[in-house]
Amino acid sequence: MILPDHEIIEECRDVCRATVGVYVLTSCYGCQLVMATVQKIMEVANLVDFKCFYMVSSKSSLHEPVDIAFVEGSVSTEKDLEELKEVRKNAKVLVAIGACAVNGGVQSWSEGDLDYDKLYASVYGNSKIKYKGLQAAPIDSYVKVDYYLPGCPPEEDEIMYFLSTFLFGSYPEEIDYPVCAECRLAGNPCILIERDAPCLGPITVAGCKARCPSFGVPCIGCRGPVPHDNSWFDSLALAFRNKGYSKDYIRERMKIFCSHDKNLEERLDKAFGRKK
Amino acid sequence: MRYVKLPKEKVYEFLEQLKSMGTLYGPKKISEKFYDFREIGDVKEVEFEYNRTITPPRKFFFPERETVFTFDTVNVEIHETLPTGDPIIIFGVHACDIVGLRIMDSRFIDDQPDPYYQTRRENGIIIGLSCLPDEYCFCSVRRTDFVDAGFDLFLHLLPDGYLVRVGTVTGHKLIENSPEYFEEISSEDKDNFAKFEAKRRSMFTVQGNWDDMRYRLELHLDHPMYMRESDKCLGCGNCTLTCPTCRCYEVKDLPTLDGAGGERVRFWDSCQFRSHGLVAGGHNFRPTKKDRFLNRYQCKNAYCETTTTAYCVGCGRCTYFCPADIQFKENLLEVYGFGGGA
Repeated sequence: MILPDHEIIEECRDVCRATVGVYVLTSCYGCQLVMATVQKIMEVANLVDFKCFYMVSSKSSLHEPVDIAFVEGSVSTEKDLEELKEVRKNAKVLVAIGACAVNGGVQSWSEGDLDYDKLYASVYGNSKIKYKGLQAAPIDSYVKVDYYLPGCPPEEDEIMYFLSTFLFGSYPEEIDYPVCAECRLAGNPCILIERDAPCLGPITVAGCKARCPSFGVPCIGCRGPVPHDNSWFDSLALAFRNKGYSKDYIRERMKIFCSHDKNLEERLDKAFGRKK
Repeated sequence: MRYVKLPKEKVYEFLEQLKSMGTLYGPKKISEKFYDFREIGDVKEVEFEYNRTITPPRKFFFPERETVFTFDTVNVEIHETLPTGDPIIIFGVHACDIVGLRIMDSRFIDDQPDPYYQTRRENGIIIGLSCLPDEYCFCSVRRTDFVDAGFDLFLHLLPDGYLVRVGTVTGHKLIENSPEYFEEISSEDKDNFAKFEAKRRSMFTVQGNWDDMRYRLELHLDHPMYMRESDKCLGCGNCTLTCPTCRCYEVKDLPTLDGAGGERVRFWDSCQFRSHGLVAGGHNFRPTKKDRFLNRYQCKNAYCETTTTAYCVGCGRCTYFCPADIQFKENLLEVYGFGGGA
């Protein structure tokens, strides 16, 4: 039994072929690169019709209807916004893929601190650019997003899981727990406890199998906050504060990939407004 | 019960002997502060004096992720992927963790036999090892500090080796098949064993008995501790993932791209995650972080009939490995009414 709020496509098997589009707004094209180089790309290409996939074909079009649309990049220009609306109109299922589309990406770092005009002036001065720019934003600020596939870049196994469940006539289950849990399951020592490292594993949504902490590198939060308001910035900020980190440092670090989370500022204030 | 002595100079030879019987796992130092059960290549890597491992021994019988069956949607068939039953030997398990395994047995074997768990368990050899408590340990008040079952051999530290208690027929055979490693115990060994136990008992930071903890908690579900402490909680699930008795799991189907088949995997879940309490229709039994926090305190203090103990064995992992530094033992004492050491 599928809940009505889960958009799905008809199972095709050998009767039909699903149509897929891979679109890009403002980003580094890294998500497309990962999608184009998955080990089973030839099998995928045999099973679906790509209507748009700039990284693999110049015969890409934004204007054809598709069953599944993967959208990479943040909305950072008027052109991005027009394209996004066109993609949404033509897609049955729309997936936000990567840190930029899901959470606004690093280009949203200054969100809440610098507005568009100040940002523009600091980069371009009085010069003119080809497109009218917008404050960088995740795509769900403008259109309905059916599923989120985070990561910078996304993980291959998750891309394959999303594709295979859609083609099966089902949908991918959402992850609502943090990288911290996967790190423990991987058997890693905890660098936050042991080295007081500013690891964002406890607030960052899982799926990467704790890629960075497994190499002793503190999580920077590229997958974005745990969904459903379960990213406890306040609790982690308190733990960091007890290790001697300043509010500014913690805020800067959390903002790299979580600047659009509506709970961030309030929870940081809560942590720092509280008596020790 | 039979008792023998394993002299210090024979310990590594005995470990080599164990290694020849299957895959040997034992405690290893994995970083500055942490230990974990890992496969033993060089027996010299075994850490005899460790406080606690970051992952609990249940992982050997109930792995964090396993495929339970594959499915074929063309022929409409499922194929169970049962474990092979290769022998594994787990060396250096502390008393609390052995009770933890018996608690796992009560759910995975006694209750509804789980063939995946049971097959691995039947092919597992458990060698216990004595320990001295640190400030995180409270197995004494949980009555799990000394085990009388659940191990094949149990090694108690002596100044010049180990006093070995034999717990099962398998344990007997280990001794019988390798008599060259063992000696009869002397009266001095018995004295030293008693001294070690007395020293150990005096080291616990909490004394007494917590059998009534469950009732105290049930009577104070609205205690302010829960709100205050759950506020610090990261919801990361480390307390449950490192716990030797947590047994909740989630299952997921992974179809192949062509839809002709796939596999069903099960993996460890945690009551600290939002989706743990989420059911069909979108209702959530534990919608807030406080609800989930409280659930663990109640669940861990419930009564396990098989071991006649609480589900919590007092190993201290949930506190030692909590990135938010939440003190389980101290919080329980607070609700119990002592506010600090009992």
